[in-house]
Amino acid sequence: MSDGLDVKAFITGYLAEAGEHLSSANALLMAIDASQKRRESNPKAVRELFRALHTLKGLSAMVGAEGIVDITHELETLLRAADKAGGRLPQNAVDLMLKGVRAVEERVAALGRGAEVAPAPKALIEELSSLNVDEGSVAGTAAIDLAPELAAKLSVAEHAQLAQGLARGQKGRAVEFRPSAERAAAGISITSVRERVGKLGELVKVVPRAAGGAVSFVLIVLTTATDEALCEAAAATKEQLTPIALTETAAAAAAEPVEDAPVQHRDWVRVEVQRLDDALERLSVLVVTRSKLDRAVKKLEAGVGDLRALKAIVAENARQLRDLRGAIMRARMVRVSELLERAPLIVRGLSRASGKPVQLDVQAGDAELDKTVADRLFPVIVHLLRNAVDHALERPEDRKAIGKPEEGRITITCSDHASRELELRISDDGRGIDRQRVARRAGAPVPQTDAELLELICRPGLSTMEVATQTSGRGIGMDVVRKTTLELGGELTVSSTPGSGTTFTVRVPLSVTIVDAFTFVCGGETFVVPVSAVDDLTELDRTQVIEPPEGKKNGGARVQLFRHRGAAIPLYPLGAMLGFGAEPGSEHERPKVIVTRKGAEAMGFQVDRMVGKQEIAVRPVTDPLVMAAGVAGSTDLGDGRPTLVLDLAGLAARHSLRKVMQ
Amino acid sequence: MSALHVVFKVGEVEYVLPASEVVELESYTGATRVPGAPPYVAGLVQIRGKVIAVVDLRARFGLPPKERTLDSRVIVVRHGTRLVGLLADSARDVVKIDSNEFRSPPEVVSDETEGFVDSIAQPNRRLVMRVDFTKVIGRQELTGSTP
Amino acid sequence: MEEVLVVDDSKVMRDMIVACLRPHGALNFTQAASGLEAIERLSLKPYQLLVLDLNMPDIGGFEVVEFVRGQKALEKLPIIVVTTRGDESSKKRALDSGASRFVTKPFTPEALLSEVRALLSERS
Repeated sequence: MSDGLDVKAFITGYLAEAGEHLSSANALLMAIDASQKRRESNPKAVRELFRALHTLKGLSAMVGAEGIVDITHELETLLRAADKAGGRLPQNAVDLMLKGVRAVEERVAALGRGAEVAPAPKALIEELSSLNVDEGSVAGTAAIDLAPELAAKLSVAEHAQLAQGLARGQKGRAVEFRPSAERAAAGISITSVRERVGKLGELVKVVPRAAGGAVSFVLIVLTTATDEALCEAAAATKEQLTPIALTETAAAAAAEPVEDAPVQHRDWVRVEVQRLDDALERLSVLVVTRSKLDRAVKKLEAGVGDLRALKAIVAENARQLRDLRGAIMRARMVRVSELLERAPLIVRGLSRASGKPVQLDVQAGDAELDKTVADRLFPVIVHLLRNAVDHALERPEDRKAIGKPEEGRITITCSDHASRELELRISDDGRGIDRQRVARRAGAPVPQTDAELLELICRPGLSTMEVATQTSGRGIGMDVVRKTTLELGGELTVSSTPGSGTTFTVRVPLSVTIVDAFTFVCGGETFVVPVSAVDDLTELDRTQVIEPPEGKKNGGARVQLFRHRGAAIPLYPLGAMLGFGAEPGSEHERPKVIVTRKGAEAMGFQVDRMVGKQEIAVRPVTDPLVMAAGVAGSTDLGDGRPTLVLDLAGLAARHSLRKVMQ
Repeated sequence: MSALHVVFKVGEVEYVLPASEVVELESYTGATRVPGAPPYVAGLVQIRGKVIAVVDLRARFGLPPKERTLDSRVIVVRHGTRLVGLLADSARDVVKIDSNEFRSPPEVVSDETEGFVDSIAQPNRRLVMRVDFTKVIGRQELTGSTP
Repeated sequence: MEEVLVVDDSKVMRDMIVACLRPHGALNFTQAASGLEAIERLSLKPYQLLVLDLNMPDIGGFEVVEFVRGQKALEKLPIIVVTTRGDESSKKRALDSGASRFVTKPFTPEALLSEVRALLSERS
């Protein structure tokens, strides 16, 4: 232990940094796991994980946390070996390392509470040290066309990372930055340049260079950005930028087939520890309630009971159970991007099997989907991708003949509609569905509308291919695609244009969407609004309100203008707009303004008071009776009643529409 | 063929719905109002984790509003995949009614109820009116109810 | 005043190192959060002492040492490498590349301080 150094003075800093390293360790382990599923190594993540744990080890040594030092040391040893093997790790390593990180987290938490730090768990250390990294031939040592002085500075793992990226089709660039005192004074330093270049792509390595006493840095990056953008980010001239490519033989080797992605059903879900902790916390609250119940019952037995108190406990219990359910539902959510992670690999396999070159574009966004929905949706996605590659896209020579690019294009886009449902669109630029042919095969009249077309292609057992192709012959059919979608409470639609392509749209409820939301009160009712929709919260300063010249006095719902950040923006009286007839006197003396934005247009909404910020599960409101512009869904704030999630911009639009109609 | 029907009361009149369409009866403790919804929609309630829109039958049938009581019930009805709640003054019992006991309502009844009653029956000398559920939960306002 | 450059990607660690060295007096500290930043700072202004962590993003301490020693102007700059315990091969590699001293974490303020005193007096 470091005598004389007052560890206490540094403990807060230690906890903060340790927390950061641990959360990045968790994220990196996820990334490594995802890569392993694709049967790829992830040298960059391995290296970063090594660094995070190594730093944590050093810090922990300084504060005398031996238990943490031992665990991180073991993890670090494993990762060092993996780094030397181009980022390869044994199959079960990720699970063990997750355990290790969890063990470190427990010990850091203990330190935070001022408790004794437990020694490293022996069994775990033994398991970790028994893992063997296969250091055989390192994949990705493909020859790269790179200046020898730079090549010499790349580690095996960095080399592999660069080669993999180039093989995936990313551009490799080396761009030089020259620091100077003037530049540093203007805030242009290697630190800021590194950050800016890092935003444009995947930074593989920065190599310092000294030529004739002048220091410069060469940033090696994998990117899709333009050279102009790179030069600008690195404050470099065109001459300071050099392309990096694979040598020809290496490029050919990179195009070697990889086996088809196994479609695996996973019965588990990775959960952010915080969400589990949240569930656990709600469970512990229930335990307290249970003992309260025990006491109340004993009192009743003794004849001094209070039935009202008992009823209150029962009601509390019901609410807590609901909360627990909510917490568990949150733990069940998976990211759509995670679901679509395997799409590129699947398309690659299909493309190879069919001999049709395909470019896949995935825009997954950041929506989350319940595990059940995600699991059922996955085979649907796989089938629609198969359909697109096998049936929809023409052969490259045919495409060329009709003036299309040889490479077919498939796009997956994903959006969540006003937090109600997920809309997944799979589009191709192929031949479109041949309606006559579908009709002939089904023995039905030629479909006139897209809906009729969908009806026909979803008939069980119908395939428009005379011979089942190698890939589409297996798996599920369109009938199952539609059935699955309907079972999920969703909808499947198609739109197909002969000669130019087909789009399948799958709409499914998210079941529960989790968003951060502000809770506020207006007109005596509580509402929430997603944090993402809020630009600013401010107190209403009456001196900043401007009466519009043409202001008509038509009741309470009059839109005024108010000054906000140097601009005059509309101020909507939310209470009056909702039309609930706020009780007199309920108007708050110091109202707040929620500023939101629709496109570039800012607008303010006057509300009575803000209550707080919390994570909410948004449920879709789909019944036609209550579907109204401005209502994005409902949520339960824990009181067992629905609370409306408002779409303020939508409300404003409806308000203006109504005025126009008057 | 006789079938069970749930009897519920709105104002002084007893109505019925086939029990096969009724999912459950719940007591009513208020609903969350929804801006922009039709005036006869009481709002949203949460029943067994499901969020359901509730039609206030008093408002729907043109009766003056009345304080909710312990007797007030939300009748949760299934309509295809949709669940909708109907708010009644009370809902107590279930009766068996034979399908051929139902007759078209006399003109005076259909006028007064704005077409929401599709037929009437008199099981055990009790007059009940069968509600046209689709019309009740339909969003379009009925027109031409005056002769 | 002697100019000291303290390089570590951990802010807590940099603060600890500065706290340990403060009793020396007559030192002016500059902090750098990465090896790259260190190289940049060394190229812009003269320093009398470099205290360097080994494990950092992009380029580690070894590379910084090698780079510094490869430059004429910095040939004689005293470098103390501070790194996590139990890694004899790192120690050897650091000293071989040209580090002046090697201090292992966890260290006591006295240990670090005495290395610095020795280095600065050697030089004068």
